[in-house]
Amino acid sequence: MPPMAKRTNEQWLSDLRADASRRETALADLRADIMYGLPYALRDWLSPNDPRFAALAEEVTQETLMRALNHLDSFEGRSQFTTWVHKIAARVALTELRRRHWKDVSLDSLLESGEGERTPRATADHEPEPEVTAEQADLLEHLQRMMMEELTAKQLRAMMAVGVKAMPLEEAARRLGMKRNALYKLLHDARLRLKRRLAREGLSAAELLAAFERR
Amino acid sequence: MRNLLERLRRWIRRDGQRRSPLRPEFIGKVARQIEATHEIEYSCDDVHRLLDQFAEAVLRGENAANLWPLVQQHLDMCPDCREEFEALMRVLRASGAAAS
Repeated sequence: MPPMAKRTNEQWLSDLRADASRRETALADLRADIMYGLPYALRDWLSPNDPRFAALAEEVTQETLMRALNHLDSFEGRSQFTTWVHKIAARVALTELRRRHWKDVSLDSLLESGEGERTPRATADHEPEPEVTAEQADLLEHLQRMMMEELTAKQLRAMMAVGVKAMPLEEAARRLGMKRNALYKLLHDARLRLKRRLAREGLSAAELLAAFERR
Repeated sequence: MRNLLERLRRWIRRDGQRRSPLRPEFIGKVARQIEATHEIEYSCDDVHRLLDQFAEAVLRGENAANLWPLVQQHLDMCPDCREEFEALMRVLRASGAAAS
């Protein structure tokens, strides 16, 4: 059962801004709420029975509480307060799990290796490379030439790491020395450049896709 | 990365070579991403700001994708944000937030 301490948004904000015991009680309730949700949030990543779970849950809960308290003024009341807090917890938890899972993977080694994997449960693709028809080889050549001409080295690297090797944006961004938000914008710009270039040449991504799905 | 760029450059310079340093699967993945690209897209921070409202709307059975098409488009494009949305939805479903 979820924790039973029901409060309105206004009560949460008021209690968390109050002095001493009211605040402590609200913090304890919020902490219980976060801890209750984490096994569900992390279901695809880490079992609650895993010996690493308890320490991670404690770390995530502390960080979530700190962020929530530091950003109380940014809560606009358009959702339930606890939903807003669980949203923060989900980001904190998955960011930490991604960091742990990818900690030993360098961008260079990833880009020189075979297919990447997204989650600890995913399996890499080890299927043999199928035959490429002459038409597909021409398209490959064309697209690769376009990528070399349209994209910066950073965009090409990011697109390969995230779009092809399935490295999380957060992790690719860390290795590229930028924020996740900035990396998304960089990738968006790269996709737009390629889309416009294809259009200028009378091609569409759908046609490319169709050519390679016919294999 | 220098290796990858150099391999691409070498490959482009060679006439008649039919084996690319990139696998055809790469084209499929890139083509899908280009196909789904819009001129204007929300960033991860834009989506994070709205994710709690979006998730609650989904939970209430509303057509959240219609209400916030740019959020939905971003979730379709960004695996990190999509994972966080799915994690949040699991928590909300477990805690019965839909009823509130």
